[in-house]
Amino acid sequence: MSATTLIARKEAGELLLSPRGLAWLTAVAVALSAFALLLVSNTELSLLDNAQVVYDMAGIVTGLGSLLGLVVGIDAVAGERERGCLVPLLLAPASRSAILLGKLGGVAIAWAVMYALSLPYLWAVGSTGQNMADGMLVCGLLGTPIVLGFGFFGMGLGCWTRSSRTALLTGIVALLVAASPLLLGPGLRQSAVGAMFDAVNPFSAAVDAYDAVIIDSQTIAAQGAHILVAAAWIVLTLVFARSGFAKVTR
Amino acid sequence: MLLEIERLRLSIGGTQILGDVRLGLEAGEIYGLLGPNGAGKSTTIAAALGLRRPDGGTVTVLGQTAGANEPALRRRLGVLPERNGFYDWMTAESYLAFYASLYGRSLARPQIAARLAQVGLAPRRGQSIGTFSQGMRQRLGLARALIGNPDLLILDEPTNGLDPRGRREIHDILTGLAQNGAGILLCTHLLDDVDRLCQRIGIIVDGRTVAEGPIAELIRKSGRRARFRLRLAGPRPNERPAESLVSIVARQDDWCVVDLDPAARPDTVWRELAFRGWPIAEIRRDGGGLEDLYLTLTEGSAA
Amino acid sequence: MKLSAFVLAVGLLLGQHALHAAPLSIELQPAAANPAAPQMGDNLTFHSVIRNDGAGPVDGLIAWISLVQVDKGKEQPVDLEDWSAHKAVTAAALLPGKAIETDWPMRLIKAGHYRVAISAASRTGTHLTTSAFADFTVRQKPVVESRRVLPVAFGIPLLLGVALIWRRPRRGTGSG
Repeated sequence: MSATTLIARKEAGELLLSPRGLAWLTAVAVALSAFALLLVSNTELSLLDNAQVVYDMAGIVTGLGSLLGLVVGIDAVAGERERGCLVPLLLAPASRSAILLGKLGGVAIAWAVMYALSLPYLWAVGSTGQNMADGMLVCGLLGTPIVLGFGFFGMGLGCWTRSSRTALLTGIVALLVAASPLLLGPGLRQSAVGAMFDAVNPFSAAVDAYDAVIIDSQTIAAQGAHILVAAAWIVLTLVFARSGFAKVTR
Repeated sequence: MLLEIERLRLSIGGTQILGDVRLGLEAGEIYGLLGPNGAGKSTTIAAALGLRRPDGGTVTVLGQTAGANEPALRRRLGVLPERNGFYDWMTAESYLAFYASLYGRSLARPQIAARLAQVGLAPRRGQSIGTFSQGMRQRLGLARALIGNPDLLILDEPTNGLDPRGRREIHDILTGLAQNGAGILLCTHLLDDVDRLCQRIGIIVDGRTVAEGPIAELIRKSGRRARFRLRLAGPRPNERPAESLVSIVARQDDWCVVDLDPAARPDTVWRELAFRGWPIAEIRRDGGGLEDLYLTLTEGSAA
Repeated sequence: MKLSAFVLAVGLLLGQHALHAAPLSIELQPAAANPAAPQMGDNLTFHSVIRNDGAGPVDGLIAWISLVQVDKGKEQPVDLEDWSAHKAVTAAALLPGKAIETDWPMRLIKAGHYRVAISAASRTGTHLTTSAFADFTVRQKPVVESRRVLPVAFGIPLLLGVALIWRRPRRGTGSG
């Protein structure tokens, strides 16, 4: 088995078998459950019918997935460094690239688990609503580069900063900035600055694609522009992580 | 030479950490690397391991420049860093199996069990590392360092957290490895360990090597004689024949203070005295040994 | 002479009052096509006829729809933001004997008991004119099915919690 595969398996074990990883997954599941229960109890949301509900849930899954990816990415470098686990790994007979790829694989596995966890929630709230299957697909298609990008971003932060706390704070602020157009509402998104930011914001790309496919019933194939923004995001963050990891010495 | 460092210079963030470090480790040898806190021992080790690039000087590891052909070189290295972290959710067995695979060795369960038994962890092999004590973690770290049957071992405080019996067990392991041809660089503050294990030492102060070579030779060069207090269980025999072995400095009741020649090995001298009829009941060091040498050479350094 | 002047003045005063009293009348009826037992998400339409029953024209007419919820303990006016985009109608002048007919569509957002009325005012009038109430009840319609959501919302965190407890490190004995 290659070093990359060994390390990716180890990272997956860290998420699925360690108390810390299981606690993260449980927290994500509780957040999804809270939102789902909110939907059940809210009697006014039906105005816009099931499409809105599936759209909202897809957005929540992407947001929570990005947060989980960020935490997993930061922990993979900065967390291991602080626990004293990183140096023995760096001193093993595996190239830096192999170790990095293994850790990136760990982030990918984390998202795969998270996405698998989210499917029952999408099914449960989707009910008889429109475009549930397409909604699940587009959530996977756009959500994957967004979430992985935040994971790689977290790894890069873990490499470049001195502590995991600094990396986490910086990462969460970046995540909030990316999500800010959604929090501020459509009016501010339509301003000149808002539109410019929207054009390059991967989060906006994902959410706009969900809107187009789930609510407006557009095809997934028509979301090329949004997919391009998401692809650019994952490439940039991969470069960021790679350049940082090459400089890690301890 | 398994490890050779000459005129090593290294700066971190614009601050010079190492100014002139030298070190030479042969196969089958245990070399003690000493120095006060902040002297540059860990940085020297990092340079030897290729984790830090030097500004000047040479670092040759197993015949290759440090940093060249890294994975192949690291396959022959075993390292126990000072900060020794583990994946607490793994068992000792699965942890060792993971690292064995990384080192390209597919070890079956009985072989893993044997490795753990070597460091005294056989009964704990199925336990998660999160439940391990400090001493158990140290033992597991040593097992990990040995997983690739390394030619060169670099150990930073290997007996940290171990009780006296555990320390002795580790000493026996290291002695056995050296006898089998491995070279061991031992970085430690425990001078007793150095005294017991090491043939040669290097002392680093403020980023520079201030002494390097065999312990006895360094003590002799320092001009200090090793002084001991001997408690005798009976009357002393004729002292004249003992003059070739020891210089009697003082006598009081049943205690006798003697100086040894720095080149002489104390255990050889005690054996010889006992053979000549000295009823030695107790031996205590009274200065002039490695500790005195270390304290003299490191006096005034920032700790 | 003084008596005549007094009578004339009173007559003019009464006449002016009559002129500025509400000459409008409003009829409000639910549309015939409205569902008999509407539920959340359905559309209702109300039809109003605003008539000028007075002798003179009504200038600057404005009529608007008002909705209140009358469930016991939850009595409150309803913001028509999500219910209807058609909130008012205006006319520059409504001549005597003429009428304006208007349809008032709305989408039912929330379950409950409601009363709707049309009110009208003019630029020069002194009184508000309102229609009689049209009452309707909106039935609850669950969009998100709790029998699907509840098992998932409770089941998945429970399973993960069990896994977390199962994987917690168990303390061993002995020292290093």
